[in-house]
Amino acid sequence: MQIDLQDLHFGYRPEHEILHGVDLTLAGTDPIAIIGQNGAGKTTLVKQFNGILTPTSGHVLIDGQDVTTQTTAKWSSKVGYVFQNPNDQLFLDSVRKEFEFGPKRIGMSSAEIKQRVDQVAELVELTDDLDTHPFDLDDTQKKFCTIGAIIMMNPDVVVFDEPTCGQDVHGDHLLNHIIQHLTAEGKLCVTISHDMKFVSQNFKRVIVMSQGAVQLDGTPEDVFSQTATLKTCFITPPPLTQLAQTVGFTATPFTTDAFVRAFEEERK
Amino acid sequence: MDDLAIEVKDLSFRYRQTTHAALSHVSFSVPKGSFFCIIGGNGVGKSTLCNTFVGLIPHYFLGKMDGDVLVNGQSIIDQSIADLSSQIGLVFQNPFNQLSYTASTVAEELAYGLGNRGVAREEMVTKVEAVAKLMRIDQVFDQNPLDLSGGQAQRVAFGSTFILEPKILVLDECTTQLDPMGADEIFAIVKRLNNEGITVIMVDHDMERVAEYADQVLVLADGSPVLQGAPAEVFGDPRLADFGVEPPDYAAVTQALAKRQLIQDKLGVTKDQAAALVKEGLNHAD
Repeated sequence: MQIDLQDLHFGYRPEHEILHGVDLTLAGTDPIAIIGQNGAGKTTLVKQFNGILTPTSGHVLIDGQDVTTQTTAKWSSKVGYVFQNPNDQLFLDSVRKEFEFGPKRIGMSSAEIKQRVDQVAELVELTDDLDTHPFDLDDTQKKFCTIGAIIMMNPDVVVFDEPTCGQDVHGDHLLNHIIQHLTAEGKLCVTISHDMKFVSQNFKRVIVMSQGAVQLDGTPEDVFSQTATLKTCFITPPPLTQLAQTVGFTATPFTTDAFVRAFEEERK
Repeated sequence: MDDLAIEVKDLSFRYRQTTHAALSHVSFSVPKGSFFCIIGGNGVGKSTLCNTFVGLIPHYFLGKMDGDVLVNGQSIIDQSIADLSSQIGLVFQNPFNQLSYTASTVAEELAYGLGNRGVAREEMVTKVEAVAKLMRIDQVFDQNPLDLSGGQAQRVAFGSTFILEPKILVLDECTTQLDPMGADEIFAIVKRLNNEGITVIMVDHDMERVAEYADQVLVLADGSPVLQGAPAEVFGDPRLADFGVEPPDYAAVTQALAKRQLIQDKLGVTKDQAAALVKEGLNHAD
């Protein structure tokens, strides 16, 4: 599964362009994080991946096929997008119905749907809430309901739009678990996040957007060590990286263990 | 007590049609001018507590309440939400739960509370412009608030609370949709107001931020207070993990370094504290 963006330009209005020529290839299964300031164009970018939005010029190719040749509903069995605000996505009267809706639309067999409902509910920890009205779930559970509804369609690529917002420690761990689970199944997870701790610890590739263009693209170590560029993109590195930079370490640690190792290295 | 902004007295609350108490026997007080943080996992009662401070409980959300909450010495039971709004302002977790849904532009949204108070038009215009500038939403002044991004809507929600100049500010995970620098910018404004004497009560999952700003931290678990103290006390408490809270990374790293006797045995909960300990540890090794 590969998504290619070729000189992609986009604006909601012709006089106001938001994405200014993005070239990007997303492939493999290493989870990818997209970070950047509010208004940098992150959501606008990922909505191009399955044709929710289509470029004003340039191309989006999914496994070589132009995204405009099929409807979003068709692409959604390949590329699923989890909305930032659950209320934009949920509209049925039970979690089970939310889970069943997408797969039915793409023609999944009822036997497979039934089996997947149980598996996915367990993965997103909503087994006991399958018959609950989504609006009776708390904000965190709602988010996991929207994630489950997309995973139900078994897409090759899952795009999460700010899944960490409002999550507590447990929510963060569960998200991490879901991403690892999907990765192990051979899926590619692409996640927009403002939580740099989460990004640095769970992703192998980090893409930094600013003003409608890609500014940095690399491993977390590469990206978070570029202090000058990060500043112009209004990004603050994760806490331990900031600490390491404050005390002048050469390494770019993200975890306690890595920081301790860096300390021992500096002491030599 | 004249020096207390909030006094929570043996407060219990159960939402209507639920069997589980959202809050049970909660007592604590918030001194005037302090920066008080409430932390804990999701669903432990943090937002419920915030709703009592502004009178949404018991006057809007129905349920069974026992005990009392005093705001500036007066019971929330005896005051209407409107009365309380002149003393205390709440910025909601989800800005779209806070918007008035009657304003067609950001400017009208900001002016909404002032209009309800009968503020003169000229004064209103001056205040709205000042707040829009402060929150950096003057660019979207004429847009419909419902068309804004989550981050911008959070700025409007902040602005519409600040504009009423409350003496007590309650912030319920109110920067979750802002990028880190945007959140830093908002907290710099909040800290300035706190320095000017405004009491701040903050619910947040970002422990680095809590450690940076709080003078008192209260940990809630399953509707009851389980720990309270200065950040260094709370974040050094070994029971913290049992309550679903991870300390700031700075605390974890200084603990790990101290355990290996690489730095002196002190807890650094903020970046500055941790940096000082790390630098000293490195110099000591030379």
